[in-house]
Amino acid sequence: MDEWYSLRKLKLARIKRFLSAFVLYSILILLTMPIVLMYLMLFLQSISDELIGLIPRRLTLENWYFLANGYIKVPGTAGTYYPNFYLVAFNTFLLAITVGCLEVLLASLAGYAISRYKFKGRSQLLALILILHSFPGITLLIALFYVLNMIGLYDTLIGVLIVKVALDLPLGIWIMKGFFDGVSWDIEMSALVDGCNRLQAWWKVVLPSVRNGLMAVLIFGFLSGWSEFIYVLTFISSQKYWTLSMLVKALTSEEFVYVSPGVTAVAAVLYMIPVVLFFLFAQKYLLRIQIAGKGAL
Amino acid sequence: MVKVKLVDLHKYFGKVKAVVGLNLTIDDGEFVALLGPSGCGKTTTLLMIAGIYKPTKGYIYFDDVIVNDLPPKDRNIGMVFQSYALYPHMTVFDNIAFPLKLRKEPKQEIRKKVREVAELLQISELLDRKPGQLSGGQQQRVALARALVKEPNLFLMDEPLSNLDAKLRVTMRAELKRLQKQLGITTIYVTHDQVEAMTMADRIAILNKGILQQVGRPEELYDKPANLFVAGFIGSPPMNFVECSLNQKGDDYFLEGEGINLKVNREIGKIIVSSGVSELILGVRPEDLEIGRAPDTQSITGEVYVLEPLGRDVIVNVKVGNNMLKVLAPQGFKASPGEKVALKLKMERMHIFDKRSGKAIV
Amino acid sequence: MLNVIKFKRIRRAYLAAFLVPSMAVIFLFFLFPVVLTLLIGLTDMTFSFEWHWVYLDNYFQMFSDRWAPKILFNTLFYVFSTLALFNFGTALLISLITNHINEKVGAVFRAIWLLPRITPSTVYALMWLWATRDEPTALFNWILTGLGLKPVRWLWYNPPINWLVVIAVNGFVGASFGMIIFTAALKSIPEDYIRAAKVDGASGWQLVRYVELPLMKWPLMFVAAYQTLSLLTSYEYIFLVTNGGPGLYTTEVWALYSYHIAFSQYAGGGRLGYGAALSTILVAIGLIMSVIYWKLFRFRELMIEPKIED
Repeated sequence: MDEWYSLRKLKLARIKRFLSAFVLYSILILLTMPIVLMYLMLFLQSISDELIGLIPRRLTLENWYFLANGYIKVPGTAGTYYPNFYLVAFNTFLLAITVGCLEVLLASLAGYAISRYKFKGRSQLLALILILHSFPGITLLIALFYVLNMIGLYDTLIGVLIVKVALDLPLGIWIMKGFFDGVSWDIEMSALVDGCNRLQAWWKVVLPSVRNGLMAVLIFGFLSGWSEFIYVLTFISSQKYWTLSMLVKALTSEEFVYVSPGVTAVAAVLYMIPVVLFFLFAQKYLLRIQIAGKGAL
Repeated sequence: MVKVKLVDLHKYFGKVKAVVGLNLTIDDGEFVALLGPSGCGKTTTLLMIAGIYKPTKGYIYFDDVIVNDLPPKDRNIGMVFQSYALYPHMTVFDNIAFPLKLRKEPKQEIRKKVREVAELLQISELLDRKPGQLSGGQQQRVALARALVKEPNLFLMDEPLSNLDAKLRVTMRAELKRLQKQLGITTIYVTHDQVEAMTMADRIAILNKGILQQVGRPEELYDKPANLFVAGFIGSPPMNFVECSLNQKGDDYFLEGEGINLKVNREIGKIIVSSGVSELILGVRPEDLEIGRAPDTQSITGEVYVLEPLGRDVIVNVKVGNNMLKVLAPQGFKASPGEKVALKLKMERMHIFDKRSGKAIV
Repeated sequence: MLNVIKFKRIRRAYLAAFLVPSMAVIFLFFLFPVVLTLLIGLTDMTFSFEWHWVYLDNYFQMFSDRWAPKILFNTLFYVFSTLALFNFGTALLISLITNHINEKVGAVFRAIWLLPRITPSTVYALMWLWATRDEPTALFNWILTGLGLKPVRWLWYNPPINWLVVIAVNGFVGASFGMIIFTAALKSIPEDYIRAAKVDGASGWQLVRYVELPLMKWPLMFVAAYQTLSLLTSYEYIFLVTNGGPGLYTTEVWALYSYHIAFSQYAGGGRLGYGAALSTILVAIGLIMSVIYWKLFRFRELMIEPKIED
């Protein structure tokens, strides 16, 4: 009859709960396993001479020795086949930091203007920015190749810099505009009343209030520049301008023949570490931006 | 129908102790109100009974079976939330039918039951609408219908009337009480409004800061509050409190405080003395004070401060020493500010509390 | 009177100062190239950058290009498989599951799923290349042989397995986009609906089917649409892992073909004109879809707009 509450029901409920948790966790773990295993493999390879699956044949730090002078030796040749690691790392850092800074500067200038000023074509501009930020920039590779060659910026890091900034700007402007929208007029007004012109007010008073947005765009720009590959591949031809993405690619294609996988792994890990660290410490910024942004795939 | 028993129930959220050592029995068919200010743990307790929160310690019995680990869906409860929680993407009919659909009852059955319940709650014309198109009162009835359609053993309500306007609230109070009596379902009702609890419940459990203060019928809580908190919470306008102490002069006992010199009878005096408490608080309700002009040992002297006419009565604010006492006077009472008056009280209507612990002595 | 004009001039000057730098960069290196792609597509330009107009010849050539049909098929197959399996499917699965289990544990899993997206592409490709090597010591084959199965030639002459790898490589990166959006959508469902459904008798699966999914209609559509465009135009990972091979164009997609035509020596490279024409098709699709997104999802973008409050 009305046997709603019985020990049998309790037991059933307990079993059901255990089963569903088991199924859910199994699916989750199965799906996530490949990622975990691969990163583990990379890390382990960097401290081993050879990996059998995930098991190092011998743990060693000799893969890291090339960092003494940055030159990756190619056995059997005398010369330096690859550009110096530190040079490449420096290029990568330089590119990343300038992308970040330039993006912050331009985006905060434009974002401020769109947020604060009323001008003819404002809503069209806003629409354009929205449309552009979901547009896939890499379809423009050929045209950009042409433009850079015409301007004489082919085979320069500056060329890559400008292309990256141009394609990331719509998102950056959108983010900064959002932040500026949230700043009240009052502090600006008092700055203007105190004698600042618009630019001074922007620099001294408004920018500090959107510090979070500035950080977000800076970090995003930095990481975007740091990880860049396709544009470097296409627009750079001299090894001296290589970034770490190119170096890792070169090492990947030619390893086992020229370079040990251990060394390649070290280069890859070192390239990847700053990104992972940034990610851990700046998580909240990144996540939000990735949603709105062109994390590409 | 089910009998619910809470035994030594605790719920902690990290360091926050939401419910502490709660013991309560709700009998089959009873309407019990969980009353208290915000944050007192009443909603947390309700959610534990529903199975949405798991108790940190203690047990919940449904008919002598410990149901701590029983998921909500197996508890056969109907619940009405403060926000009603009507599924916005479903029609009223689908909302009400949802519990039955989840049980995979046949379509004919579902249609029949939904129509019955809709009739009962007078919302039959609304079945095709979406929740967004309904007024607050209508939404509430739909929420009720959804809770009742599955013929639950236990009916839980979390401040269901607080989002309604005052007039509707008064109407619904009576309706809900009648409905419960008609259906006979064990009901637990959470509210912060003591009028709601007093008018609707068979018994009231008052909570404060996670601890049960007192359980009893409305009259019990009103006439014999167990501590300061209950005394001050129940009754509107609230009870007056005055600090005082007991002095013995020969065979007579006197309560003395600012503006107070009250003779109390010997039994009361002896009880107070035997309790060993020296710092006392005298509590007396506005409606138990009579305003007069002639002072005597049964009265408190004070000065009229201001009058608040309510239409049916008049609330007279009387300054006694440094305290402000409120007195309920009949309609038409007149006095001017500054007038000296004597407030007479009956011994039986007087409450004495221990100042430090808050517990009632008399 | 003069003051007003002067004021207007000053104002315009400041406005220019704010806007011009960004607008110049965007115009020259974003907008202009869009038009340029179309124009170059009407020529048969090579690395000597001569403007030799052939008008629609390139487009006619697409029809007679013996690889075009295969590549078109590849592209469609790739886009819809990756979308269904990973960018949409797995994303939804992961966000639903991580939301129904312990929150802290769920957050850890989601963080792991973000790793592929934030890892530099060449490093990520490196890991996949190593894991899919033919030797039994390579990660995947090592696991297979450990389970008593035969090793597989993941990337070489083994369709459709090489497609599986290509889809997985892109999918693990792509899934995190949907995962973030779906998770946000799930978390924004008011708790009371979930509680009411539980009390009404919903099991986990019924909760998902009758309450959570219906309330996620817009995010679901948005992710599907957005990721479709994204997949259509992406080729970086395919380039790094199979380079369109093995053999002749077995895993080549349209966007990669355009790249090869223009920049790769082996595909008869240096044909910027034809490459641009191939790209123009993608650019056109990209423009159309971007405008559609803007119209349909304008308010959604506003919702996603980052608001970082401390």
